[in-house]
Amino acid sequence: MLKYILGRIGAMLLTIFLVMTLSFWIIRLMPMTIFENPEVSPEVQYKLEERMHLHEPKIVQYYYFLEGIILKGDFGTSVKLRPGMDVFDIIMVRIQPTMVLNFFSLLVSIPLGILAGTVAALRRNTWLDHVISFAIVIFISVPSFVFASLLQYCLTFLWPVFPTLYNAQAPNVWQAFRSMILPITALSLGPIATIARYLRGELIETLSSEYMLLARTKGLTQNEATWSHAFRNSMVPIANTIIPMITGIMGGSLVIEKLFSVPGEGGLLVDSIMAGDHFLTVALLIFYSLISLITILVVDISYGIIDPRIRIGGGK
Amino acid sequence: MAQETILNVRDLRVSFRAYGGTVQAVRGISFDLRRGETVAIVGESGSGKSVTSKAIMGILPSNASVDAGTIMYDGVDLAHAPENVMHDIRGKRIGLVFQDPLSSLNPIMKVGKQITEVLTRKGMDRKQARAKALQLMKDVGIPEAERRINQYPFQFSGGMRQRIVIAIALAGDPEIMICDEPTTALDVTVQAKILELINALKAERSLSVIFITHDLGVVAQMADRICVMYAGKIVEMGTAEEIFLQPAHPYTWALLSSMPDLDTRDRLAAIPGAPPNMIHPPKGDAFAPRNPYALNIDFEEEPPVFRLSETHYAATWLLHPKAAKVDMPESLARRIQRMKEAGGRA
Repeated sequence: MLKYILGRIGAMLLTIFLVMTLSFWIIRLMPMTIFENPEVSPEVQYKLEERMHLHEPKIVQYYYFLEGIILKGDFGTSVKLRPGMDVFDIIMVRIQPTMVLNFFSLLVSIPLGILAGTVAALRRNTWLDHVISFAIVIFISVPSFVFASLLQYCLTFLWPVFPTLYNAQAPNVWQAFRSMILPITALSLGPIATIARYLRGELIETLSSEYMLLARTKGLTQNEATWSHAFRNSMVPIANTIIPMITGIMGGSLVIEKLFSVPGEGGLLVDSIMAGDHFLTVALLIFYSLISLITILVVDISYGIIDPRIRIGGGK
Repeated sequence: MAQETILNVRDLRVSFRAYGGTVQAVRGISFDLRRGETVAIVGESGSGKSVTSKAIMGILPSNASVDAGTIMYDGVDLAHAPENVMHDIRGKRIGLVFQDPLSSLNPIMKVGKQITEVLTRKGMDRKQARAKALQLMKDVGIPEAERRINQYPFQFSGGMRQRIVIAIALAGDPEIMICDEPTTALDVTVQAKILELINALKAERSLSVIFITHDLGVVAQMADRICVMYAGKIVEMGTAEEIFLQPAHPYTWALLSSMPDLDTRDRLAAIPGAPPNMIHPPKGDAFAPRNPYALNIDFEEEPPVFRLSETHYAATWLLHPKAAKVDMPESLARRIQRMKEAGGRA
């Protein structure tokens, strides 16, 4: 098991290195003017560019880039959005709202998805299943920003139940959370549907499996057999859908943060790309990849815990 | 044979609702299982033999229904017993061994837990249950049971998994064991060992066994009595000796002729055609269209069951007193002659 985890971590480090390399080259090969600020004199500009090694060949810049990150934890300096500020600090300031948003979406969608999928599978081909399955199709196929706009229109304009935008200066936790409810809802609908769809299919398959039948011939009741054989076994492949789900939530939150003016990393990434603040963009890309990789690592490890075939097979 | 009958199936009819209509999988079968004997049910795929075993266990799928008949066991009609009664019978009184050990074990549960699961749920304490599981694993011939009890099914070979499945079936100390094609998914060399094991366990625990298979060759070394099923009906029933040495139904002839024979260079006789569509079972004898000996009446009216001896019955018009006398195919007759000379061994 330890070997399995170490292997996973090794693979993760390799991936993060590749992501760093790729995002550096893609962004730096784009034509860039670092400074467009007319108030800064050309001499000062030249000096600053010198300090950022921008006159060296790209490969040398790449070396400085890696050296900065790996040895000093230095991701560079913002040049357009917050000129002169350390990129890492900018990200750290913004991290909390993003984390809250993404974390709560996950927290909401996993149990609700499991519940919906289980109900649909156990009540297969009844009206309840049809309603759930219909909702699943809608929620999977319509992107989250459409729901976000719909929710905003209905629940803040027609019936003003919730605040339209995220309230960064909320006087108390409840107020702050209340302004987060709509973005969390908009982000969660898709993932709920994804989990429900997979679990429904998976559960229906395991329910009709031979080992379910065997469990019943042993003398277990249908409920006992469903719980200890079908349900647990269905969770194994579900763990795998959680990876694309998390990246999906993060991708969705880029737009959702913008729509609800959440001062998080998503909006920052969009802004930095628009403004051409390349140091910031690269750092944010690495940040997002790192989050994805960590979730993949967690899922992989839990996968090994749930499924002995992976744990024991990987320990060879 | 005057043993006591412990399971009695009378005129059992089971049908499935399918898209094209109602599939009549079992169309009125009757047989007895006596204490300590092995009854084999033999037939092609789709003849209704597995459905019969599922009906006895009360685990028919939800689109199936028992339309008529009774399955009497210990004063209870299993065909119409409520779920809570069946819980106490399944596993505890009647155990079932499935065909495919690869898919009938839960892949992510330790085999020990799969054996003891029912015991602990019914109130046995863990230590006792574990000891019992170890004993069962030894009984079914799994070496190093102490180590293997904590392993998962994928760490076992096919034959070993089938032994686990048998151990699970025996965990509740049942008196009837139904084996539904227990060796079909296994290698031939492993098959023989599993059959030996079933026979040994049967003797040790004085089990009564219903053995379901499509392979007459397997039946020869297992069964006391044989029911030959075709298209949801029992077409011939008799002791193993009667079925192998004096077969009376053309379908049994065809089955016997389709067994490979090492002693002759005769071509292996396949049965022409395919089993009938059971949504619209044919009029008359269902085997008639594939039967070279079919009489005109076979296409008109179902044959009644003719009694050949105390234990031997067959449903074919050929046995009617007015029917012309037809003998079994000559190659089969020769083969039976050789079997008799070899001492009744198939």
